[in-house]
Amino acid sequence: MWTWFYKLASPPYVYSLAGAFAPWFFGLAALTLGFGVIDGLGFAPPDYQQGDAFRIIYVHAPGAWMSTFIYTLMAVAGAIGLIWRIKMGHAVAAACAPIGASFTVLALVTGSLWGKPMWGTYWAWDPRLTSELILLFLYVGVLSLRPAFEDAARGDRAAALLAIVGVVNVPIIHYSVVWWNSLHQAATVAKFGKPSIDAAMLWPLLSMLLGCMLFFGAVLCVRLRGEVLNRERQASWVRQALQ
Amino acid sequence: MMTHGSFWEMGGYARYVWPCFALAAVVLAWNVWSARRYHAAAQLRARRALIMEASVGDEQAS
Amino acid sequence: MSVGPLEAFWLVMRRELTLSFRRPEQLLQPLVFFLIVTTLFPLGLNLQLSLLRDMSPGVLWVAALLSSLLSLDALFKSDADDGTLEQLALGGQGLALIVTAKTCAHWLVSGAALVLVAPLVAIALNIPTDAFATMMLSLAMGTLTLSWLGAVGAGLTVGLRRGNVLLSLIVLPLAMPLLIFGAAATDRAISQVSAEGALYFLAALCVFTCTLAPFAATAALRITLE
Repeated sequence: MWTWFYKLASPPYVYSLAGAFAPWFFGLAALTLGFGVIDGLGFAPPDYQQGDAFRIIYVHAPGAWMSTFIYTLMAVAGAIGLIWRIKMGHAVAAACAPIGASFTVLALVTGSLWGKPMWGTYWAWDPRLTSELILLFLYVGVLSLRPAFEDAARGDRAAALLAIVGVVNVPIIHYSVVWWNSLHQAATVAKFGKPSIDAAMLWPLLSMLLGCMLFFGAVLCVRLRGEVLNRERQASWVRQALQ
Repeated sequence: MMTHGSFWEMGGYARYVWPCFALAAVVLAWNVWSARRYHAAAQLRARRALIMEASVGDEQAS
Repeated sequence: MSVGPLEAFWLVMRRELTLSFRRPEQLLQPLVFFLIVTTLFPLGLNLQLSLLRDMSPGVLWVAALLSSLLSLDALFKSDADDGTLEQLALGGQGLALIVTAKTCAHWLVSGAALVLVAPLVAIALNIPTDAFATMMLSLAMGTLTLSWLGAVGAGLTVGLRRGNVLLSLIVLPLAMPLLIFGAAATDRAISQVSAEGALYFLAALCVFTCTLAPFAATAALRITLE
């Protein structure tokens, strides 16, 4: 099993593995996202308080989850690159950044559009919203820092350090609704005990979450191949791989 | 299950719900397009580097 | 001749302070900037005194943040440019010690100076005098935290073109919680409500940052220097 982990540090292996997985991830993502959207929009019963507006949860919650999940993955991958000097760690971190930033924007905008009918305002300086906005700024920081260095390897290491420093924000986002009296509602799914949401509403949500994870996997594979090529241009295996 | 008409209405919240789903579609589409473009550009650069290397090798050989 | 770590710390601190005082205008510029920025708000917004007081914690803190950013750029820059930083790093005392000494010296001449100037600004913003103690305490802890966050950012961006813009981009998001609690503490003090909660939170942020930032800043410099 450990040999498989060692293989993951090898660029040609990662390149071919990502190429093999991507279409499967895309296909499964399409199925689960399709089911989630159709079930969530068409068949889930309307909420007794929020009516049909609650259906925004099917894009907002997965978006928010992905934004923090991807940032954490980016920080971990960067740490692996920094501590063990495994270039593939930096490649994964670099690939994660733009994807994560796009999901953060999705979470913020859909949240804002949901807030208007529910709370009467497009924005509030509430702990969860503020820390999610800070997350977006952190993504922008990482995305700006990496290309600023002439030496790409140095840029990778600097971006990794910044990502690690910023990961402090992720638990703040998650626990903000617990620690403070927040406008944003508390956890309904990711808590111990029974989820406080009806089953008919829950299934499409879980499907959307799974679909977004699969979609992220697919896009990550494609981007990762680009990152690997950019870092390994001179290597001998590239000629074979590009035939 | 909602009636066909009320589906688009979304109980009066249509102007909040549909832009959200539209944005989600845009974000997903952008991710696919951007990733594909990135990979294609990387492949192009790698191919160019290989051609340059080959031509330098030819010069040195001749 | 070998020097103990504590002695080395004081030596570097003394060097930093001597160098800073040799260019007094570089010390004064951020302070003047602080004074000017806080003046801009009442001028631009043309508020009644009571409304000005309500806004003052935020204005004060944003101005403090921005003027601290000005002086952060220079934290490692000149030493990195002429190679002194590398020499210090090779000196055997460890880069972490050097970084700590430099950052503490930086805080003394920028953050501490800001805290001392703050009462002047507070009068201009119509902050009542009995809120001064809380305001200065919150600014003291806040600027110290900011010096350390800035050290991490400066370590990452020293030697980059447009480094100062990137520095702001990196440091400001990390400094947002600081701004929130610092302004909250001052605000509570003005409203004559207990500011304890906010001050404790600010202290927690300060301790957390002062404990971990030295390692991050040192790692950042190693990435830049090697």
